[in-house]
Amino acid sequence: MKTRFVTIAGVIVAALTLSFLQTTTPPYAMITGPLKTSGQQGEAVTSTTFSVQVGDVARARTIGYNRFGEAVALESSGVWVVVSAELRGFKETMPVHGATIVGASGRRYRQSDRASGAPDVLSTKVLQPGLPTTGIFIFEMPEDETGTMTLVVSEQYEPQLQDEISLTLEPQDEAVRERLDIGPDGI
Amino acid sequence: MGQPDRGETRKGWRARLVAVVGAVSAALISLGYSAYQQQVPTKVPQVEAGAPVETGRWRVSVLRGSAGSVLPSGLNVSPGKKALTLEMTLENVSSESSNLYGDLIVLADVPDAPRPTYYLLRDNEILWDLQPRMPEAVAAVWELPAEMDVPKDLRIIVEGVRFKPRDNLYAAPGWFPAGQVAEINLPVEVQIGGVP
Repeated sequence: MKTRFVTIAGVIVAALTLSFLQTTTPPYAMITGPLKTSGQQGEAVTSTTFSVQVGDVARARTIGYNRFGEAVALESSGVWVVVSAELRGFKETMPVHGATIVGASGRRYRQSDRASGAPDVLSTKVLQPGLPTTGIFIFEMPEDETGTMTLVVSEQYEPQLQDEISLTLEPQDEAVRERLDIGPDGI
Repeated sequence: MGQPDRGETRKGWRARLVAVVGAVSAALISLGYSAYQQQVPTKVPQVEAGAPVETGRWRVSVLRGSAGSVLPSGLNVSPGKKALTLEMTLENVSSESSNLYGDLIVLADVPDAPRPTYYLLRDNEILWDLQPRMPEAVAAVWELPAEMDVPKDLRIIVEGVRFKPRDNLYAAPGWFPAGQVAEINLPVEVQIGGVP
């Protein structure tokens, strides 16, 4: 009788322990997620492999630039958000392809491929260690998402065990411009 | 060693009976369930052209179809091909930018259709990411052999996707196929200039 009781109690304890371990296992996305660093617009935020310093943020209904000598004007049903930044690489030559703005609703807006032909776009550049690189990121999003914005930058999208820098952007007080022209040196 | 105890024999019989009853009922339930699923084929709802369809990640309204020789970018199709173009309004209702709309629309009457190319009609250029909460007018273009007959009334299947916060393999979040969500019958106009 006693052995039976001990056996049943043992099985129950084992089941509880296993279910506890199962429910508290961190998900795969968290185990292999990015190595996060965060900061504010204006300060140079440094991770082990690269750093980001955000300069200006501008919002416009239309952006204009020259592509292969031809004037391009891109309109949007929302607004264009253009962020100028300085990037530095520390260890080796690297691109910075991943740039996302987390909008006011928490939705994630990747930098726009529509405007990937604009001059001075950072995703077309490569960081060389020791040489600061300046340029712009261009995003397209609904206007009400621009209330609070966080810029998230990484070497590639969805980095796994690689650096990712988040920067809280300052609230936008200026009204949205009708048109923003992007020159060879950005904004 | 003597005769086995009577109680022991009875216990053995009981265990065997429970095992047999369990196994048989499991088999019956599984058989009945699959037979039931065969009996009740999931019916794909018919949707009018122009009506919005929710597919999980996308909200799509297919507006019109046409066949011709000019792509939305203004270029001609490659020689020996014709372009079947579906114009639609497409909105990304997920929480992040995405370009995974390639499997959204399936031509039911065109076997072995190639993957469509999507164009953003605002720029008349190839569509990449669609940003969340920003519906856009887009066109999906299938380049089909010029001699292929495209039915006047095209049957289109809209495929759904479902978000799983933890998938079965890695417990990673992701989007997975969720079967057909709508069927649309769409008249196909022949563009002026016609099919070559």
